[in-house]
Amino acid sequence: MAEIKLENLSYFHGKDTPYEIKALDTINLTIPSGMITGLIGHTGSGKSTLVQMLNGILRPHEGRVLLDGQDIWEKQKNIRSVRFRVGLVMQYPEYQLFEETVYKDIAFGPKNMGLGEEEIRVRVEESVRFAGLSPELLQKSPFDLSGGEKRRAAIAGIIAMRPDVLVLDEPAAGLDPRGREAIFSNLVKYHEESGNTVVIVSHSMEDMARYCDNLIVMNEGKIVMQGDRDYVFSRSNQLTEVGLDIPQVTKLMLILKEQGIDVDGGIYTVDQALERILSIYRKSL
Amino acid sequence: MSNPFIKIEGLSYRYDEDSSGMGKHPVLNDLSMEIEEGSFVAVLGHNGSGKSTLAKLLNMILTPTSGKIFVDGKEITDEAMTDEDVLSLRKNMGMVFQNPDNQLVATIVEDDVAFGPENLGIPSDEIRARVNSVLSDVGMLEYATHEPHRLSGGQKQRIAIAGVLAMLPKCIVFDESTAMLDPIGRKEVMDAILRLNREKGITVIMITHYMEEAALADRILVLHDGNVLLDGTPSEVFEQEPLLKSCGLNVPQCTSLIHQLRDAGMSLDGDCVSIEQCAELILQTLNKER
Repeated sequence: MAEIKLENLSYFHGKDTPYEIKALDTINLTIPSGMITGLIGHTGSGKSTLVQMLNGILRPHEGRVLLDGQDIWEKQKNIRSVRFRVGLVMQYPEYQLFEETVYKDIAFGPKNMGLGEEEIRVRVEESVRFAGLSPELLQKSPFDLSGGEKRRAAIAGIIAMRPDVLVLDEPAAGLDPRGREAIFSNLVKYHEESGNTVVIVSHSMEDMARYCDNLIVMNEGKIVMQGDRDYVFSRSNQLTEVGLDIPQVTKLMLILKEQGIDVDGGIYTVDQALERILSIYRKSL
Repeated sequence: MSNPFIKIEGLSYRYDEDSSGMGKHPVLNDLSMEIEEGSFVAVLGHNGSGKSTLAKLLNMILTPTSGKIFVDGKEITDEAMTDEDVLSLRKNMGMVFQNPDNQLVATIVEDDVAFGPENLGIPSDEIRARVNSVLSDVGMLEYATHEPHRLSGGQKQRIAIAGVLAMLPKCIVFDESTAMLDPIGRKEVMDAILRLNREKGITVIMITHYMEEAALADRILVLHDGNVLLDGTPSEVFEQEPLLKSCGLNVPQCTSLIHQLRDAGMSLDGDCVSIEQCAELILQTLNKER
């Protein structure tokens, strides 16, 4: 378990050049321990920059990143251990697969941590299971896998370091519905079994509504909203204002509400909508 | 069908064996179908169902293992096809791929769009006119002198589309061209695609994983195990929710909601593809009971 806290954090792209842009603007944020947190915002809102702060890939120009109360940049030579504790799965991580076999690729992280052969083997097997990958694939070349399998192999490579916090930037982008489902349901399983903190960045409001306990909404380098699903999705007007899509069923509920049906905008899953409409229907019979 | 722009007869394709000795599994298996000129067809199917293979066969990036393909009345799988025939086919059948960063070649937007026609040796006045006209077709004329790498994903994809349009194709195949974009970028690209189809009459074949995008097409083809599993209007195809789910696909959220409400005993008769249609059905029933 580990808690990440950001204090007055700012970051500039192209700092001290004529093209300087403020990418993150005085961010104060606590990412709660042991939950699945979803980070949403349109392109350019600062999501990817923010997640690269969490494990010290980028260094803040102002403010601090605290991991369990400790400033991660206090002793610069310790930053490597922060990267083992906060595992970051970047966008399209399958482009970073490089080893001869899937096994070696997943083992790369643990090997760099200086672990022994046996420990590495245990961790590879564990992470393959968490990622929902068949163990038979371990001896194959990562380049012979399907797109969805490659993605899961890349995620397994990070899980194998047993990070306290797992951060994933668009883990399901470009996959078919079954591939998306496989990634998310495995993440939920990983979260439940390990109890670890998971942070997911995604554009898919439907997926965020389904899988995340806590949501953070960003716009123009600032946090504009944070709360649980009910809190965030009941503010669909605000979401639309910052250029976000709202789930299809939420749009449907808003149309019904306008037409005088007694539903509210806080409905964001098909099951909720089903229950609400059926109860109105049964009462009217 | 009066005027099939594309006609496919008994098409099969197998990839060569892979390094592990697997493979030789047919990706497309005795597929036959027709696509009408000017139509907008969405192709759905899970990863590995043969969608992209089909797209690459249509402009001879791949050659089939067996079967015939006719485009605009001409058999493109004919062994007598010359290199020039292939070039003219590719002019006619444009393709836009998934990754916006892999398709742009020049450092200025208008040079990128001009790349295709320049290679055809078209006079520069004509190129200038074409570049301006296609950039305005995709709503990117004001970016003509910008650098492509500074544009957003949706803008880059629209430049890629403009580059294809500059070849004056009759048909464009979009192979998951919105998959890497955010919701705003996806909408920009979908709006551009719809305009090309409705206003310019360009035949559109769109491979996608997004059911909400497929819902905008005239017709949906669902590929499964190398053949056509379902073929019909979005309304007809999405009616088959259990079948679609069994092959790793889905239906739009609202459509699924209507299906579940029907299963629970509400009578909701009519199309339920768009959000508006779904809202209308629910309103009718609830208001009737009130």
